[in-house]
Amino acid sequence: MKNSKAISVKINGKQVEKTIPTHLRLLDFIRNHLKLTGTKEVCGEGECGACSVILAGKIVNSCLIFAVETNGSEISTIEGIAKVDELSEIQQNFIEHHSVQCGFCIPGMVLAGEEIRKENPHSTRDEIKEKLAGNICRCTGYKKIVDAIENN
Amino acid sequence: MEEIGKSYKRIDALEKVLGQTKFLDDLPDENFLHAAPVYSGIPFGQILSIDFSKAKSYPDFVDFISAKDISGENQVGVIIEDQPLFADKIVRFVGDVIGLIVAKSPQNARDIAKLVEIKIEELSPYFTIDESRNATEIFLHDSNLACEHQVIRGDIETGFTDADLIIEETFKTSVAEHYYLEPQGCIAFPKTDKMKLLGSLQCPFYIQKAVSRVLGIPLENVEVEQSPTGGAFGGKEDVPSELCARVAVAAQKLGKPVKMVYSRKEDVQLTSKRHPFQMRYKVGVSKSGKLLAAEILLEENAGAYATLSSVVSYRAAMQAMGPYKIPNVKVRSKSYYTNLPPNGAFRGFGSPQATFGHERIMDILAKKLGIDPVEFRMKNMLEVGDETMTGQKLTSSVGAKETLQNASERINNNIIQNNNNSHYLEGIGIASCHYGNCLGAAGWHLDGAGVNIKIRKNGKISVAFGLVEMGQGAETVVAQMTAQALGVTTEIIEILPTSTIHVPDSGPSVASRNVVMTGNAIRNAAEELLPILKKVSAEILNCDQENIEIKNCFAKNLKSERKITFSEIAGYLHLNGMKTQSNGWWHVPELDYDSETGTGDAYFTYSYATQIVKVRVDRLTGIVKVEKIWAAHDIGKAINPAGLQAQVEGGTAQGIGWALTENFKYEHGKAVTQNLSTYLIPTAQNTAKVETILVEDSEPLGPWGAKGIGEPAIIPTAAAIANAVSNATGIEFNEIPMTPENVLEKIES
Repeated sequence: MKNSKAISVKINGKQVEKTIPTHLRLLDFIRNHLKLTGTKEVCGEGECGACSVILAGKIVNSCLIFAVETNGSEISTIEGIAKVDELSEIQQNFIEHHSVQCGFCIPGMVLAGEEIRKENPHSTRDEIKEKLAGNICRCTGYKKIVDAIENN
Repeated sequence: MEEIGKSYKRIDALEKVLGQTKFLDDLPDENFLHAAPVYSGIPFGQILSIDFSKAKSYPDFVDFISAKDISGENQVGVIIEDQPLFADKIVRFVGDVIGLIVAKSPQNARDIAKLVEIKIEELSPYFTIDESRNATEIFLHDSNLACEHQVIRGDIETGFTDADLIIEETFKTSVAEHYYLEPQGCIAFPKTDKMKLLGSLQCPFYIQKAVSRVLGIPLENVEVEQSPTGGAFGGKEDVPSELCARVAVAAQKLGKPVKMVYSRKEDVQLTSKRHPFQMRYKVGVSKSGKLLAAEILLEENAGAYATLSSVVSYRAAMQAMGPYKIPNVKVRSKSYYTNLPPNGAFRGFGSPQATFGHERIMDILAKKLGIDPVEFRMKNMLEVGDETMTGQKLTSSVGAKETLQNASERINNNIIQNNNNSHYLEGIGIASCHYGNCLGAAGWHLDGAGVNIKIRKNGKISVAFGLVEMGQGAETVVAQMTAQALGVTTEIIEILPTSTIHVPDSGPSVASRNVVMTGNAIRNAAEELLPILKKVSAEILNCDQENIEIKNCFAKNLKSERKITFSEIAGYLHLNGMKTQSNGWWHVPELDYDSETGTGDAYFTYSYATQIVKVRVDRLTGIVKVEKIWAAHDIGKAINPAGLQAQVEGGTAQGIGWALTENFKYEHGKAVTQNLSTYLIPTAQNTAKVETILVEDSEPLGPWGAKGIGEPAIIPTAAAIANAVSNATGIEFNEIPMTPENVLEKIES
């Protein structure tokens, strides 16, 4: 098919091969083609972080990336964070600290939290806030989200 | 162990952290048709023609739905009948929906919608309150005045004559966009003569009425279910009625499920916002600082249709002079139509605006009188036995002074010393408020709510309630209150998705009313179930009912200490075909209110709050940083203290955005701040350290003494920030948003 391309990516540990339109956003590939709907669209312009995924070990806004660009890469979405029946520490903390309200930003927030912990397990609150500035939440005022990510 | 009063973990959190919660757009939709709105690009004009021939030739086109397809009434006005579902003669704002394009995919529907050609003869539009009020010919509707309310109590002339000091000031607050993260959306499923709607929404019963009316089918043939809702803040109060009714018209005509989810751009342009207010306050006081008289004019920009303006205007009028004793009051509150998207419900519902007015004037008065702002407020603040500004005698649960006392104690160690030459100026600002719980006299007829509680065979309890979870934590507190009422643990409670089929019309999920309404309905349902549980337990344990205690999922014979589990009781009930479910209902007691003068019992009880903020103003950039907020809230009883704190932290964050950075702008009626790079809602770096201070002054009519918190959380924040910036700079800030540009301009002038 014209304007289509076959890609092969590893999503949450599973190899996936699909032929997709070249203009398809990674976000739509994940949500519509792979049916992984935990990744959300809010602004569609890379300002809010709701569509965050981990691509080749780095957190990215999946609304700003064409799916074909990820050919050969490894991608983790929110669905790949918990091990079988076991939440990650960050996920557990989000529950313990009352960090969740409407939940729409939460997949992106959890991934951001994982990334912040990975970069520096003992980031200060101010460092966490700075790194979270690309993830928008309208419900919580962020305090309890920072509480969940902080590890001091 | 008590189930209420403890910070039980949210029952919806697990699914949400796993990304498993299925919001509307996460459901499989391959078999649905998809709709996109066709709307006016012109703020005011007469429709000359609608031509969809180009759209029709697009391969994926299914249909164009417009006013001609409506089998019932083309009317979706909530209170005032001024809003056609599909504009067919006149368009009144950029975003007024004329029709829907239905196609086989959402993207194609949106692309095809652009091909519909609408010819409009443009009329001269009104955008501001002044333009609307001063119009002499060609009005948006019969007149440009959408609605008005007043409070007339005592004699202001005498009050002003007796006053030693009279201050007059004008205040302005700006429009604000909810920016809930999940956009508006719904799916309509047609079924012969019935219609089922599933959507992201706050008020299923409003939608049921709207759809029934538009389709011309009986109310009971319309079922509305809420899908998990990604934030609402009032933005999904009335607006989903329009979306659902439009999509239902398409589904009825086409006989297939139709889905519509707004893009962010559509959501921002087409849906409601917070009313901008302009306010004139004239207040007289005695030398000793006693409030004597107030004459207040509140003017609200209603936008193109009245929607909820009438009740926003009512609430602002009833609370216009705050939680203070003042014997002589004249308030007029007027909403004017303009050619902007309709302004409607947004957390606080007119209260944050009115609080901006009364708390700014209180600070200005204190300064002129040379009295400390805390002392000045304390002197006038309501307590039990006092009458509110509407003449309502308060008989219980008035924690106003305690909120002021507790918050102000925290600032004693925060003495501000500004050096005239310093780069930063620090300031402290105080704002207090009262918030009438539930719908008040203006909405009393709707102010009932129900629950259905079912004891299941497996020993679990399922609860259906008529109000909704939209992120605030409703399901968790409903589970806790049910557990408390029935002597079981919160773990065994399951909450069903809200639907119109489980409980009677419970009114809207607004006005911070869930805990009060649903909590009382739960107690009512439990009253019916508890005697049965006791009777059955006594039978199984072979003792007198009086000796039975039900607690923590066990029934115990207090004499023998013998126990049985709740599961055993549930099994026994089912085995013997006994009553296993109960419906509970609660309605707000009658209010003695005179709508002519706007006096009497405006609301059945009030929540009270005082927030004190500390700010730092950068003199060179105009940037205001809110460093700390001490938020003291009288909520009667905290059902879930951590959840309540979360409400306060989130509410104050929205207040910071509204006060400082959220500068929503239109150009000729078109929103130009359509995204997060231009409409700046707070990030993790812009919110403040918040200390939530609970005041639990029990309300006898509240369940376990509780009152509402959802809205009080945001109400005083912006006023407190403006007071703090005024305090820091020595310049009076009477208008928001206080963007860096606006602050700098005032500092430099």
